[in-house]
Amino acid sequence: MIIFAAHVFLSFMEDLKTTLKQQIIESLNLQGMKPEDIDDNAPLFGDGLGLDSIDSLELMVLLERNYGIKIEDAREGRKVLGSVQTMAEYIQQHRTV
Amino acid sequence: MIKHPLYIKAACAISPQHSFGDTPVLDPVVPSEGNRFVAVDVDYRAFINPVAIRRMSRLLKMSISAAMKCLQNAGVSMPDAIITGTGRGSAGDMQHFLKDMIMMKEEALNPTFFIQSTYNAPNGWIALQSKSTGYNQTFVHRGISLELALLDAQLLLTETGDNQNILIGSYDETTADYFVVKEKLNYWKKETVASEHLYQNNETLGTIAGEGAAFFVVSGEKEGATCSIESLEIIHQPAPTMIRNKVHEVLAANGLTTDDIDVVLCGRSGDVRFEAWYNVLEDFTTQTIAGFKHLCGEYETTSGFALWLAHHIFSQASVPESTILQKGDRKEIRHVLIINHFILDTVSITLLRG
Repeated sequence: MIIFAAHVFLSFMEDLKTTLKQQIIESLNLQGMKPEDIDDNAPLFGDGLGLDSIDSLELMVLLERNYGIKIEDAREGRKVLGSVQTMAEYIQQHRTV
Repeated sequence: MIKHPLYIKAACAISPQHSFGDTPVLDPVVPSEGNRFVAVDVDYRAFINPVAIRRMSRLLKMSISAAMKCLQNAGVSMPDAIITGTGRGSAGDMQHFLKDMIMMKEEALNPTFFIQSTYNAPNGWIALQSKSTGYNQTFVHRGISLELALLDAQLLLTETGDNQNILIGSYDETTADYFVVKEKLNYWKKETVASEHLYQNNETLGTIAGEGAAFFVVSGEKEGATCSIESLEIIHQPAPTMIRNKVHEVLAANGLTTDDIDVVLCGRSGDVRFEAWYNVLEDFTTQTIAGFKHLCGEYETTSGFALWLAHHIFSQASVPESTILQKGDRKEIRHVLIINHFILDTVSITLLRG
């Protein structure tokens, strides 16, 4: 039973990350990029995807629009927007829609 | 009124025609579709930072690319000033932002549309791209936006000296929403008109919508210039006789008569309401008369396309066949007169010398 639940959870997380990657690509207009091109754990800012401060605002809007998550604390925001993995984990715990 | 010539060193236009690049082609003409012209896209990535380009609207990409190419043509890396004119600025981004405000009940709004929805967003980007920290101004005055930018450039040169290189430009886009709204105000013809027959369809209201960006590097110094703007006059909602009088007044003020004009570029648009504004063309019987709104459509800053066309005519020493409404008998092109209007609004008269 526990193994089945873990399997369901992992599958759910994989789907969430794929959806999230697609939303990031559309929201930030990352032309020519596909979900599989984005590494789950690669940093979104700096060396990874190379996003900038305006992109971070766009990602905040993405979280609010699609998952009902409002991040008020900038330090928390930096942690949450670290990678697709950290975003997905935060969404899984805090989503309201 | 310009009291000091503005020398045009380079020009570049992105328009519904293949006007961009080192060898602009106006023959054959790209026709409009459904009473609407759309500007021909160019390789924007050659002029804009790849990270920045992904969040830019078409208008931004058009205006920045035209500006950077114009600077390249002039051999100027950093202009001393950037002055532009636009009727609607970044209308597309503004519409996105306003729609978002309604749909999202004023919450969770995309920052990009907000940041880039301002009229002067292209100026900011051009300044960043060219590293220009000088005077930077955008004029937003419907049909005389570019004209006011030109007058401001002249004032700036008077204050700062002739050796300044000023980047002047105009840009406007026609979005689907704008087209629908203005259609209700009879801006566009009800019947579908082929753009090549625009001037024959001059008994009904409206014209063809258009868009484009045109940029120029001007200076107070003659060296390296293709032509100069000698006079610029603006008339608000004139009677036809006022236009005729003003044209003759401008010519007389420059020691010229109609005989000295070689080419007249007229902004006729096929709209029955404004045909009488061009009665003055009857005074130019032996000159070449050329139209341009069957190439670029109607928008607030068509004067930018007309000015680019005038520069093209001087640099090629010939008038493109596709523009000619009346063939003149002049062997040499020394003076070009632009008479243009914007819907229900203003008429501008610009005198250029080659």
